[in-house]
Order: sequence, then C-alpha cells, then structure tokens
Amino acid sequence: MGGHHDVSYLAPKGTPLQTLLAWMFTVDHKKIGVMYLVATTFAFALGGLAALLLRAELMYPEIGQVLPEYKAGATTITANNLYNRAFSLHGVIMVFLFIIPAIPAALGNIFLPIMLGAKDVAFPKLNLLSWYIYVFGGIIAVYALIAGGVETGWTFYTPYSTTTNWGAVTAMVLAAFILGFSSILTGLNFIVTTHKLRVPGMGWFDMPLFVWAIYATAIIQVLATPVLAITLIMLMCERMFHIGIFDPSMGGDPVLFQHFFWFYSHPAVYIMILPGMGIISEIITVHCRKRIFGYRAIAFSSIAIAAISFLVWGHHLFTSETPAANVVFSALTFLVAIPTAIKVFNWVSTMYKSSIVWNTPMLYAASFLFNFTIGGLTGPPLATLATDVHLHDTYFVVAHFHYVMMGGTVFAFVGGLHHWWPKFTGRMLNDNIGRIAAVIVFLGFNMTFFTQFFLGTQGMPRRYATYVDDFHHLHMISTIGSWLIGLGFLIHLLVFIQSLLGGEKAPKNPYGGLTFEWEADSPPIEHNFPHEPVMTHGPYDFDTVVPPHWDPKDYPLPDPSKIKPAH
Amino acid sequence: MMIAQTMSRLPSVLASSSLASEDSGWMRFWFRNTQGTFADGVDGVFFYIFWVSAIFFAILMGLMVYFGLKYRRIEGKPAEPSASHNTMLELSWSVIPTILMAIMFVWGFKEYIVMRVAPGDAMEVYVTAKKWNWNLEYPNGAGSLETVSKSVEGRVLAGIDAPVFVLPVNKPIKFIMTSEDVIHSFYIPSLRMKRDVFPNRYTTLWCEPTEITHKWDPEKKHGVPVTANGKGLYLFCAEYCGDQHSQMLAEVQIMSDGDFRAWMAEQANTDAIDKYTLGQILYKTAGCVACHSVDGSAGTGPTWKGIWDDARPGWKPQPGDAAVEDNRAVVGLNYIRESIMNPGAYLREGFANQMPTYQGKFKNREIEAIALYIKSLDPDFTDEAKSESEAEMAAKEQESGGE
Repeated sequence: MGGHHDVSYLAPKGTPLQTLLAWMFTVDHKKIGVMYLVATTFAFALGGLAALLLRAELMYPEIGQVLPEYKAGATTITANNLYNRAFSLHGVIMVFLFIIPAIPAALGNIFLPIMLGAKDVAFPKLNLLSWYIYVFGGIIAVYALIAGGVETGWTFYTPYSTTTNWGAVTAMVLAAFILGFSSILTGLNFIVTTHKLRVPGMGWFDMPLFVWAIYATAIIQVLATPVLAITLIMLMCERMFHIGIFDPSMGGDPVLFQHFFWFYSHPAVYIMILPGMGIISEIITVHCRKRIFGYRAIAFSSIAIAAISFLVWGHHLFTSETPAANVVFSALTFLVAIPTAIKVFNWVSTMYKSSIVWNTPMLYAASFLFNFTIGGLTGPPLATLATDVHLHDTYFVVAHFHYVMMGGTVFAFVGGLHHWWPKFTGRMLNDNIGRIAAVIVFLGFNMTFFTQFFLGTQGMPRRYATYVDDFHHLHMISTIGSWLIGLGFLIHLLVFIQSLLGGEKAPKNPYGGLTFEWEADSPPIEHNFPHEPVMTHGPYDFDTVVPPHWDPKDYPLPDPSKIKPAH
Repeated sequence: MMIAQTMSRLPSVLASSSLASEDSGWMRFWFRNTQGTFADGVDGVFFYIFWVSAIFFAILMGLMVYFGLKYRRIEGKPAEPSASHNTMLELSWSVIPTILMAIMFVWGFKEYIVMRVAPGDAMEVYVTAKKWNWNLEYPNGAGSLETVSKSVEGRVLAGIDAPVFVLPVNKPIKFIMTSEDVIHSFYIPSLRMKRDVFPNRYTTLWCEPTEITHKWDPEKKHGVPVTANGKGLYLFCAEYCGDQHSQMLAEVQIMSDGDFRAWMAEQANTDAIDKYTLGQILYKTAGCVACHSVDGSAGTGPTWKGIWDDARPGWKPQPGDAAVEDNRAVVGLNYIRESIMNPGAYLREGFANQMPTYQGKFKNREIEAIALYIKSLDPDFTDEAKSESEAEMAAKEQESGGE
C-alpha cells in the first residue's frame, strides 16, 4: 500500500470486510458523500415509485384503478386510505430523505472541500456522525412505513395529525426530527469549512458559485431546522400526552402549528433549490467555456434568497390567516422573486458569445432554465392575494412546486451528477444515450406537470384520491407523462451501471473546468491533492487560462487585447 | 391612490377587451366556469400576471435557444470575448420586474379586500363541515335534502351521490363556517372563493353569484340546468381531511331569487316526505354515505346492508343498554338512535371511533326515517319497512284531510 498520497479514495483496503469497515468508519468527505448519494438515490427511487402509483390511480376519476381494497384482520383498508398513504409517503420521502440531503450532503460533501482546495471538511468526524444520524432517521422512517405508514401528508397539519388513529404518525414525526439534526450538523460543518479551509489566497469572491450556494444553504439549515425540531417535539407531545398546544378541543390553536411548520418549511424550500442553482452556475460556465455573467450578483442573490426566505412563510396561510397578516406576507413574498429572477437573467447572459457543447449536463442545465423559469413565473399568482385564494391548495400549487423542486432541483441534481460523475467515479458516461434520456425526462416532466396548471386554474384541489370527471382528460395526459419520466430515469440508471462496470476511464479534466476539482485526479486521491493546490486563477477565467491538464494547442484562447476586465 | 387605480385599470382593459371576454373558449380553457362577482377582479389580476410572465418567458427562452444554436462549440475556435458585467443591464433587469410585481401586489391586495368584506345586507348561511360532508343551514333553518346522482349523464361525481346546494342569483350571501373535527376548506372554484374552516372557531366568507345555472322544477322537485355552464359547479373541500377528503363535495346550483325561495321552502318540509324516502335522502345529505355503504361493500364505517335485527359477535352492548330488546342485543331503533347520538357506544370490531355525534341535528322523525331505511336494506325486512312507511304517510294524510 502506497499511503494515501497517491491512492484513489475508491481503492479497496485489503479484504472485502476490511474495505467495508473502512467505508463504515471513514471520515473522508468523498466516501461519506458517495454513501449519501447511494442512500438518497434509493430514497428517490422509493418516492418516485410512490409517485408513479399515484399517477396511475389518478388516470381515471373512479377510485380503485390500481390501488386495491383489502382486509387486514377485521379492518378493511380502503383504496382511499392507500392513496392517502402513498401521497404522504411520496412527500415525506422526497422532502426529508431525498431532496434536502441530495445535493448538499452528497455532491456538496464530495466537492465543497475539493473546490476550496481543502483536504476534508472542517469536522470530519462530525460529518460521519451526520451520516449515521441520517441513516438512523431513515431506519425509523422505514419502520414507520412498515408499521402502517402515515396518511397525514408530509405537512402533518393539526388537528388531523394529532387525532388520526391510523398508522405510525409519531414514529414518522420522530424520523423527521432526527433527520433534521443530520441536516443541522452538515450545515454547520460546511459553514466552518467555507470560512476556515479555503486555500491560502482564495478570497470570498474567488470561490466557485457552487460553494456560495452551499454556504447560503448551510446558513438556512443551521438557523431554520431547530424550529422544525421544536415544532415536531410539540407535535409528538400533543399526540402522546394531549397537552393542548394545537388541539382546539383543549384550547389550542391549529393555525399556530401552520406558522411553526412553515417557519421552517418555507426556508427549507430554499435549502432544496439553492444548491441546484449552484450546480447550474458550474455546468453553464464549464460547458459554455465562458466567464459567468455577474458573478457578484449571483453570489449575493444566494445570500439574499437565504435571508428573505425567513420572512415569507405566511404565504402558506393565505386562506387561514387574517387580511392584516396576509398583506404583509404577500408583499414580502414578491421580494424573494427579485434575486431569483436576477440569477436566471445572468445564466442566460452567460451563454451569449460563448462556446456551447450540448452534452448531457448542458442539456440538463438548459432544461433547468426552462423548467425553473416556469416554476418561478408561476410563483407570483400564488403570492398575489386575490389569485391565491382561488389557486391555494389546488393542482396549480402542485405544478408550481414540482416545476421548482423537480424541474429545478432534480434536473440540476441529475445534471450535476453527469457533470461530476467522471471526477468522483473515474469513469466516463455514455453521452449519446444520456442525451436521449435527458430529452425523454424533459418531455415527460413537462407533459406531467404543465397539464396540472390547468387542473389548478379549473379548480381541482390537491390530495384527491378521486375526482369529478370534468378533470379526466388532463389527468390522463399527466399520468402518461409520468411514465416517460420513469422511462428516462431507468435509461439513466442503466447508463450509470454500464459506466461503473465498463466505462471508459476518465481523464483528470474531461470538460476543461477551471475550479480545483479538475486539478485533482479522477477519482481524487484520499487527501484530494498531493500538495496543497495553489490559487493561480479565478474559477471562471475561461478567456485567459488554459484549463489544468490541457494542452494549449487543444484550447485556443482569444486575443488578450480584446478582453475587458471583469469588474 | 390615483396611481394604483390607473395601474389596475390599464391591464384589466388589456385583459378584458382582447382576450378575456365572458365564456370565450379561452376563458373556459383556463377557468372552466365563472359565475360570481369576484371573477372579474381575480381573473383580471391573473391574466395580467400571465401576460407579464409569458413575455418574460418568451424573451428568456428565445434568447437561450438562439444563443444555444448560434454559439455552438466549434473545436479550435475560442469563445469571443464579451463583457461579464454590465451595470445598466443588471440594474434594469432588477428594477423592471420589481415595478411589474409591485403592480401585482397592489392590484391583488385590492381585489382581496373586496373578497374579505361582506356587504351588511348579505343573506347568512351557516356552514358546518365534518368528515366528510358539508352541511349548509339556510335562513329558514333547513338544510339541503336534494342530491344529484352520480349515475346521471354518465358523470362520475367522485363515486358518490353528492348533495345539492342552491344559491340565489345577484344576492350577496355570507357563509359563517365552523368544523366539528379537523380543518376543512370551503372552495367553490366557479365563484373564486376559498376559506379554511376550523373547529372551535368561526370563519366567514361571502359571494354574489351572477348567472342563473338552474331553474326549479316544482313537479320533479329538483333543479334543471338552463345553460351549458350548469354542469360542473362544485363545492370542494380544499384542505386535506383524511380518507374521504376527495368525496367531500357538493353540487352548487344558482337559481333566480323566486326559485331559490321555493327550493328553500321545500327543503324545510321533511314532514311531506314518507319515512322510507326521507331515510334515503338523509343517508346522502347528512353525510352517512361518506362512510357507510348500502350494498355490503366496506367503507370507513360498517355497511348498513342486512344488519337489521342482527345480534353479531363484536357488538357488545352492556346489560341495561337501550339496544337490549327482549333480552337480545339487536340492531333496532334504539341501537341506531344511540349510534347516531353517541357513535362510540357500540363500536364494531375493526372500525375506529371516527364518527361525529349528530346530537341535536335530527328530529325524532328523521331518526326514525334513517332506522326505517336501514331496516329496508335487510332483505328479510324490506317489505315490512316499506309498508310501515306507507301506513304512516297514509295516516298523516288522513289526519290532515280530516281537518
């Protein structure tokens, strides 16, 4: 064994058992990131299957299309109950086990330290603890599913959640509570890493924008998640000891729960999308070989979004709160749209006079821009009081947040996975099949969710197991679209497996990126770099710097006299 | 003030003159039905936001596709240098959206206040929501006895016979709402109105319907659609409330003031309906249908079919209970009355105690009607129940004829 200075982090350690133990007790951020990646992908598959089941059931208006009624002992389980459990499962799994940890804890863990030129995160052992807390929370969530699941929705609104006697609500709430700690500790670790472990010479405005995005996310994770923890504790106490904080029959206030819940869960929406925005900034610059347009605007808008995200939770309560509160939250909600819009303008401007290669990551970045722009522009009708009253709790909301969460975050995640796959696995992916799958997923996604905007404006409420037949045709199109999404992801999975089994070996810098991860080996060695890397250029100096490991004759630079200074 | 008015008028002219004329295919495509005074305001804001968004989307995607085609990579050729920062450009794409959104906020707030302040002379209707049905109490104290069958015109009303609620045209109506269990939400899409309904608290909202969709047929005693829009006006529950959340719906019919009064009077007159039919009606309108089947299939509650006079394992009445008749615990009038007033009393194995109490909701004759209907659902007692009902009606008629 040659010591960790020249061995890939993926290299086996002696016998298979020793290798397994080495992974289980690793403090290497890359290994922990890979373990998160595997776990979150599994959660995504589980939540995705639940979604396909829901869509199949909704293809026709009558209940019981695919979900059977069955007997469990003396109790009859209705198809309605199964539907409600399936959508709750989809929500809980996708939110707490997939989308919150997917980008920060998986891709963020692998790449944040490398992009800063660091050997590891600031607290490697804490990082491992985060992972085990996540696993522990995940196990309790799976237990809750086996013990009957929950049919409260992922929002656990009181007094429904405190009075329902179906399933394992307390266990599921406990799982979400525990998963929250994993999120807090990861966020803390990334904040300290970003402050303290930047390579000497790297100022704040020399950091890659992915780091800025993860940093902004981490701030929200640390500040907002404790509120969720407190809220969930109160919910559990309410269920077990009937203390009457939220239950109106004991003098409690059910709307108070909604305030507490969204005080976390609205900022959490930005925990979900900000890292995706960071990935898009990386993909567009590298595959367009272009300095990012408005670096500071993008960096500051991440921080602005993080700050404003704490002030807008009340827009989830427009049909339950008083006009005085609603008017304030309506105005504040519009504020968050400004930095978001600025980012989109900057990304599109970056493509101007660039050198674009339409590979799988870039297709995903463009799909992100398309979907996320729709997702963003359908926010104002929900922030506007008069229109929200009509659209609140309808499929318009479902379509809106799927355009942001799936069309945005999931597309960015899959794009980022393709972008960095050669780096952390050391293998190339089949780009042609990847592009075909990307197009299938894009078409399927838009077919599934664009129809839902019309369902919403026409008045179809969400969380409905069955519906009046006026909505049938739109639901049918939506369901067929969901099969295309499933097909596309299946193809992606096969491409990933093919790459791991027999993919072409990846060079150190396949795309010509300038950030530190492209200086490292593919896959990186255990401590990322043989020596501490030296900051010789900015992360996006594509017009002045030949990328690391590239031959200048393969990478012609423009005439230096034509280049204007960046700032 | 002047500015706000001008701002709100400008886009509404844009939206209504060219694109949003009443009942156009375009409007039906977006909103399907439009029958209330709020629709003009809400739809006006909506289309203003829509066109602003559509223009921004077209510009952004047009540029993306154009750049994507024009600046495709040519190997060996570097990207042309261009600015990576432009203060004027960045300032304008921050300020212009801010102004456009300020208009959205102000206009939306203005229309919202209209929706939240009911006129003083509004007719008051009390709404009680429970898992899983709506109960509207009209000014004459009546609730709705009318249902619309799921089997008519091949419609699928979420698989149930939904109750019908009639509203008068061109009259403000104020709904005063509370819930008996969890949070529900009162939502009539065609009137663009929605408000959450809470236990132990009253919330209100109001509306003014603008278009007659049905006229009252005094012979058949139900509303007849008068426009193509008559189909598809619903009251939905928009806040998730459990198993039959999606079946917590009703059909809404808008009638002339005269027809509405005739309908309302008819609903108050339960004495004119024979007990068997009344039982059938109450089964659907009082919400029993949400949980209890009449065909033997399972639901959230036990089926009503074939249970009359049964003493079954799993039903364990205590000695002295009203349901013990002739030393046998049986499903009879007393058992049914107790189960309606105190639903946990004879909980059947395999079913949770989920049903709200109907204490004070039914007259004695209405409870008798429900019991009679349950009796008729047992094949051994069907004929007996029907003749009992006829006999009671005949006796009543004789009495009133003799006066």
